[in-house]
Amino acid sequence: MERWGMVIDLDKCTGCQECTIACKEENNVPHGSPEEQRRRQDPFWHKVIAASEGEYPTANIEMVPMPCMHCDNPACVQVCPCKATYRRNDGIVMQNFRRCIGCKYCMVACPYGARAYNYKEQEDVEYQRIDPPLRRDLIGCWPFPHRAHGMVEKCTFCFHRIEQALMEGKQIGTEVIPACVEACPAHARTFGDLDDPDSEVSKLLSNRTSIRLREAMGTKPKVYYLTK
Amino acid sequence: MELNFVSVDGNSKNYKIAIGILAGITLLGLICFGISYFKGHYLFGSSNVIPWGMPIVLAIYFIGLSAGSLILSTLVYVFGQEKYKPIGRMAVLLAIVLIFGAMISIAVDLGRPENFWRLFMFFYWNNMTSMFAINGILYGGYFVISIAYMGIILSGSKVWMKRWGILAIGWASLVHMGTGAIFGFMAAREAWFSPIKPLEFLTAAITSGVALLIVVLVLTMKFTGRDLRKDMVTSLSRLLTIFICVLALLIFLDKMTHLYAPERAAVLYSLTGKYSWIFWCLQIGLVIIVPLAILFNKKLKSIKWILVASLSVVVGVFFERFFLVIPQAAFPQQYYPGHIEGVYGAIGSFALTPVEMGMSLGIATTLGLLFMLGLKFMKALPEKTAEELAAAASKAAPPKTEEAVKTDIPAGTDGTPPVENKPS
Repeated sequence: MERWGMVIDLDKCTGCQECTIACKEENNVPHGSPEEQRRRQDPFWHKVIAASEGEYPTANIEMVPMPCMHCDNPACVQVCPCKATYRRNDGIVMQNFRRCIGCKYCMVACPYGARAYNYKEQEDVEYQRIDPPLRRDLIGCWPFPHRAHGMVEKCTFCFHRIEQALMEGKQIGTEVIPACVEACPAHARTFGDLDDPDSEVSKLLSNRTSIRLREAMGTKPKVYYLTK
Repeated sequence: MELNFVSVDGNSKNYKIAIGILAGITLLGLICFGISYFKGHYLFGSSNVIPWGMPIVLAIYFIGLSAGSLILSTLVYVFGQEKYKPIGRMAVLLAIVLIFGAMISIAVDLGRPENFWRLFMFFYWNNMTSMFAINGILYGGYFVISIAYMGIILSGSKVWMKRWGILAIGWASLVHMGTGAIFGFMAAREAWFSPIKPLEFLTAAITSGVALLIVVLVLTMKFTGRDLRKDMVTSLSRLLTIFICVLALLIFLDKMTHLYAPERAAVLYSLTGKYSWIFWCLQIGLVIIVPLAILFNKKLKSIKWILVASLSVVVGVFFERFFLVIPQAAFPQQYYPGHIEGVYGAIGSFALTPVEMGMSLGIATTLGLLFMLGLKFMKALPEKTAEELAAAASKAAPPKTEEAVKTDIPAGTDGTPPVENKPS
């Protein structure tokens, strides 16, 4: 069985936020006003944080792109009362919108702030997609065009792309990759099967020093960071 | 000792005005809920940093009061403390009303309140590792148990009162410890994560329950023109003193374990940061310092001062919950070593928005409304004694006399004859 994971090279990341924008476009995540951003009421499935260390002139700023970590031991799945969030067999942590009651307990439990609540009704057309319409009969409602407010949302590792690629027999990780990986101009991100020793992610992890965020939490994230 | 219980008549002008005002504010709350349901939660103060707001504050506050007053009622029906008997029924009525209020608070805070039923699909559609789902069992069971308890008390079976009372006291403790576990088990929230939280919640629940009972007892007796026995209030205030001391100890231990550990930034912020005055003035001040100063002072032994101390505790425990849910959640999480710049490393903000406040006010008045209707349709108040009746008759104007006499006749179903009994 595949175990999808992502490797992000912090040495290559420039903090351009292209991944954040690509994620918003791909998954039609609602945009927010600067006021909503300040109040932290706008949904982000992916964010890039800047962590600084030291004072000028010996300061260092690290740009850390943060999708959902898709933990192998997810705190959100443990606390969801309604089985709305669950871990698929391929390791992707998903959110079922029909089951979600919007109690926000998962947002309390997530140590990565990966979950966002949808605070208001989405305007109908937010991002114009240029690619042809997806096969809804094959992949269902994803990527969803319209969503209701009052539910918790999260990154899906663009699972709709993975599903379609599996059906079409394409190679995941080379031919088909999540939107954020595809958009990265610096090729800092790699996506693939962590259980496959020939995949690029496995090779990167065996060659370079890697860390995972907040490992002390015991959540076993599947997003690895290659250090500078 | 024999004691009959009666319902209030509910024909007086004051009663009707009070019901009218409460119903009006409840309607306002309902409108606010409707707006938030159709427009979305951006009308609330909560955000992705501070996910929970006022309704959750109210929910855990009400659960605390409810569990506390149910535990107290068992003093009468399980432990046989006959002197508390006049308030036994009222305590159970309060417990039922308050747990109902807690459940509606949780329901209106959900993003999808129409899916509320999904919380009660135990073991089938519920993920039973979630503290919420476990608490769903606890709250639902508690609601059923306390209603059955009320039925048993009304039916008057002594043996079953005792048996069911033991079940109720155990369940009520579990309910409150479960509520504490919702917060205490969250490893990701440093300021909440504490094994002592369930016990702290339980103690706070009993403390606020005793205090609320004193307040409700004194006020109800006053407004319905009944005589208040001072020894009862004094012994309740002694209980209150003990629980406040235990609560102070638990809060101290909780903060100390957090401060002693090297990872203390979040708790340090909550104790010294921008909103620490809520902790020091409103929580520690109102729950511990003011009441203890009054209760340990030998000169302030009158009912009025005990009432002040109890009110202070009731208000203070509310701010304890407020402080836990909102300012303690505001501290940003340390996603990556170093100082996180920008909005992801900033302290969360919480705005007290009109819609959220209106809704919270509406929930509180719903409870007042239910309690007043409960007093009318349930025989929860101790009957007036002959002397009180005579005093009321001589004092009041003609229409009021009529009411006072009518109150005395039990209109219920338990078949107790309408006789006047003297209290022991």
